[in-house]
Amino acid sequence: MTNKAENSGPPCSRPVAAGWPVWLRIALIGRRPRRTLLRVVVLVVISFVVFKFILLPIRVTGTSMLPTYRDGAVNFANCLAYLRHEPRRGDVVSIRLAGKHVMFMKRIIGLPGETIAFVHGRVTINGQILAEPYVKFPCDWQRAPIKLGPDQYFVVGDNRSMPIENHELGEPHRNRIVGKILL
Amino acid sequence: MKIIIRLVLSAAFIALGFWLWTVFFPSPEQIIRKQLANVARAVSFTANEGLLARAHNASKLAGYFSVDAQVSLDAPGHDSYTFNGRNEIMQAAAGARSAAGALAVEFLDVAVALAADKLSATVDLTAKAKIPGERDFYVQEVKFTLKKIDGDWLIVRVETVKTLSRARMDEAGCCRRSV
Repeated sequence: MTNKAENSGPPCSRPVAAGWPVWLRIALIGRRPRRTLLRVVVLVVISFVVFKFILLPIRVTGTSMLPTYRDGAVNFANCLAYLRHEPRRGDVVSIRLAGKHVMFMKRIIGLPGETIAFVHGRVTINGQILAEPYVKFPCDWQRAPIKLGPDQYFVVGDNRSMPIENHELGEPHRNRIVGKILL
Repeated sequence: MKIIIRLVLSAAFIALGFWLWTVFFPSPEQIIRKQLANVARAVSFTANEGLLARAHNASKLAGYFSVDAQVSLDAPGHDSYTFNGRNEIMQAAAGARSAAGALAVEFLDVAVALAADKLSATVDLTAKAKIPGERDFYVQEVKFTLKKIDGDWLIVRVETVKTLSRARMDEAGCCRRSV
């Protein structure tokens, strides 16, 4: 009944029975409240599905990905990124611990089956030096060669200004890689 | 209209009944989760904890473990420690309280896997620890093994999991799900 009355005339600031001006009601819930409600429901469902299962919102904590990702930055992990292909070298990925509440954020530099080492701060893949334009802080890391298993990737942060003992790096299994960082 | 109201009321009664059932007869998973939440609270401590409270809380924490429990901590970037039995665990808890001013521990992503006999369980979780006043927090994946002993679920083993095979959190780039 109220809807019909509202829709019959042009929007104006004339107060309605509920006490709200018509223009405010239209601005808030539209000319067709049922349709607006449906839109809201659909939007909420889509947002829930997207941000729960596809694009996980994350907040970066720590300095190991500097200068690519600064501490406190907000980003998303794309969980569908590796549906069609496996992770690639250079991808920045999120790696789960026991679950997805807290995850590591690292760059993949080694792929399954490769042998990775650090020689005077340079990464070598199967003995060849890897070009890493994203590394801005030089280091002098040394690490013995390690051969990755069939499902292992070698990940490390971009900021290598600290001693290697204080940096998070390693060889997570493929099933720990949740998704690719979107931005 | 009456049918709808009856259906809604029936659904509400069923939901209420289910909820009451879970409250009065919790599943082993629920009991274990509650137990681990208590453990996280017992591990945490504040700066203004008195000597008596410190001893009491350390003792309370040890009470969650079996007599022959083993705790193996190998957090990367730190020394590795192994504690055997309740007494050692209690001493370690008291020592940690003396060494650090305060600590807030939280267990996230608790995944309980119950054995077929329902008398033992393994739990994989992420422990998040924060020292009040410090900006950074520490995370470590931990695996608990629990057994049902005399009707109580007690921790028989705790071991750290090497997520990346080596790990240190304070300088690590990690990302947290925004809430």
